[in-house]
Amino acid sequence: MSSIRREFVKTLFQRRTYIGWGGLFIVPFLIMLAFRFSDGGHGQNAGQADVGGFIMMGVRSNGMFLVIAALFVMSTFFLPMFASMSGSYTVAGEAEKGTLRTMLMQPVRRGTLLMSKWLVSNLYVAICLFLLGIASLIAGGAVFGLKATPLFTGQLVSVWHALGLAAASYLFMFVGMMCVVSLAVLFSTLTDSSLTAVASALGLVIVMLVLGAIPQFDFLKPYLFPGKFMEFTNFLRSPVAWMPVIKALITFGVWIIGTTGIAFWRFSRKDILS
Amino acid sequence: MTAEKFDYSHEEKLEHCEGRPVVLSTHGLTKDFKHLRAVDGLDLSVCRGDVFGFLGPNGSGKTTTIRMIFGLIYPTSGYAQVLDHKVPADRQKALRHLGGFVDDPMFYGNMTARRNLRMLSRINGEVSEERISEVLDMVGLLDRGNSKAGGFSHGMRQRLGIALALIHKPDVIVLDEPTSGLDPQGMKDVRELIRQLGSEGITIFLSSHLLHEVELVCNRAVILNKGRVIVQGPVSELHPASHAVKVLTGDQGKALEVINKMAAPGGVREDEGYIIVESGDGFVPEMVRRLVADQIDILAVVPAVEQGLEDMFLELTSETSAAAPQPTKTRKGGRR
Repeated sequence: MSSIRREFVKTLFQRRTYIGWGGLFIVPFLIMLAFRFSDGGHGQNAGQADVGGFIMMGVRSNGMFLVIAALFVMSTFFLPMFASMSGSYTVAGEAEKGTLRTMLMQPVRRGTLLMSKWLVSNLYVAICLFLLGIASLIAGGAVFGLKATPLFTGQLVSVWHALGLAAASYLFMFVGMMCVVSLAVLFSTLTDSSLTAVASALGLVIVMLVLGAIPQFDFLKPYLFPGKFMEFTNFLRSPVAWMPVIKALITFGVWIIGTTGIAFWRFSRKDILS
Repeated sequence: MTAEKFDYSHEEKLEHCEGRPVVLSTHGLTKDFKHLRAVDGLDLSVCRGDVFGFLGPNGSGKTTTIRMIFGLIYPTSGYAQVLDHKVPADRQKALRHLGGFVDDPMFYGNMTARRNLRMLSRINGEVSEERISEVLDMVGLLDRGNSKAGGFSHGMRQRLGIALALIHKPDVIVLDEPTSGLDPQGMKDVRELIRQLGSEGITIFLSSHLLHEVELVCNRAVILNKGRVIVQGPVSELHPASHAVKVLTGDQGKALEVINKMAAPGGVREDEGYIIVESGDGFVPEMVRRLVADQIDILAVVPAVEQGLEDMFLELTSETSAAAPQPTKTRKGGRR
């Protein structure tokens, strides 16, 4: 626990930590303002089957939709970016600053150190998601009100029920972001440049998204985790479509275990030359 | 002086310890980087209480060796040992007895010096605020303890590195070129601190390419070149004080005859008009008395120029460079 606390304290002492959290807290207010002052020109799409359209159209009538809309908007690029930045700094960031050797010259196990860093990186992302959710709730509730919420399947659920589904969606997205963190941690053990690690992890996420969008690569889809981020929308059905959710979680789990395992293997054998 | 004068066998090194335990040693320590052998079968031992100089030109393998001692990089073969703990096998336990830094010591820039020390030192057990103040005071940073380390100069980071090294009173302190990049006053202060620590019985392993520095503060030293030990022993033996004197008289021919009768065979030679005499204790006064008795005018008796450690170092490193085999060729142990 002391190792985790130490890593968390280090995170708290970095300015970029607060820039990230602050930025994510502001985003829902920006989305809220965009809806508040828009002319509702997308109203012609109301009622369409498209999930994104359904969420976006719901925002103007119910603040609960802003909680989901923020997650929807942020999940394809910004959340993976924050997750990859958080994971990339773990080893490479410290290596480029020279503090990795300072830390490893103390009697600390490399495995314990990396595990602590991995956990704290994920904690950082969890806080990012928490702030995003809370800010969305405040912004949406203040301007559009929190009301009974219609699901994709037509049923109306209470505010508390909707909050539970939103929490499940955020939790699901957190597991998805753990994949990105783990991937970034892996790249972080392969280079002494945090920027290279960020670019590599984020680049790979984007490549997987692109591959998932090309029909010729459909056979790869079950293995590409970024394409499964949107599966959180299955929580907004009644009954919840569990099968795609479970399949996505299995994919996430395999990626998390695989990339983290390789990162541990690599870090435990790495010559620290920085 | 050449390498032949020294024996590098483990037994010989232990003898040098005169009953003191060996606290730090390396055994056939070797590191290859692709096509370069950076450290080649390094065997050395540091006894408790030594201020041990680890000398070598840039690129001789000093920092690589220190990184292996701290378990930062893995040896290709061989191992380091701190007390009974082998590195890398038992790295964590070994590090509980080691303090120090390698290269430029780096700290968390957004934290104060005091918080850096608190956070890093607590990995190795609880440390009181009083102890933190004490080590900051020892290195002259007490008044900067609450300043952010990010604003520290190179010299201040070196001092903070020494403070971190000292905080747990380890068995051995390993310092990698602690005076590099410091101004003359900073160098003087750090050397004074090392001397003070040495006088308190703390074992210090001091890496340096400054021969003068090693002469000033160390009692034993090893000279490394191209990853190999070329000579090691007490600094006083590495750097033999020459007792030779240069004699200039009014009649050099007659003086030479007189001195030749007194001196040991081969102890007298002529050089640039001077008579050079290898003198022992009490020789010079006796020589002067004889010359005066023989009515030879003595114009000058001055010490001959000593062969400094620097001369010897340059001589040895150039010898080994000229005779160096291919870098990747394995040469384990043995005399270099």
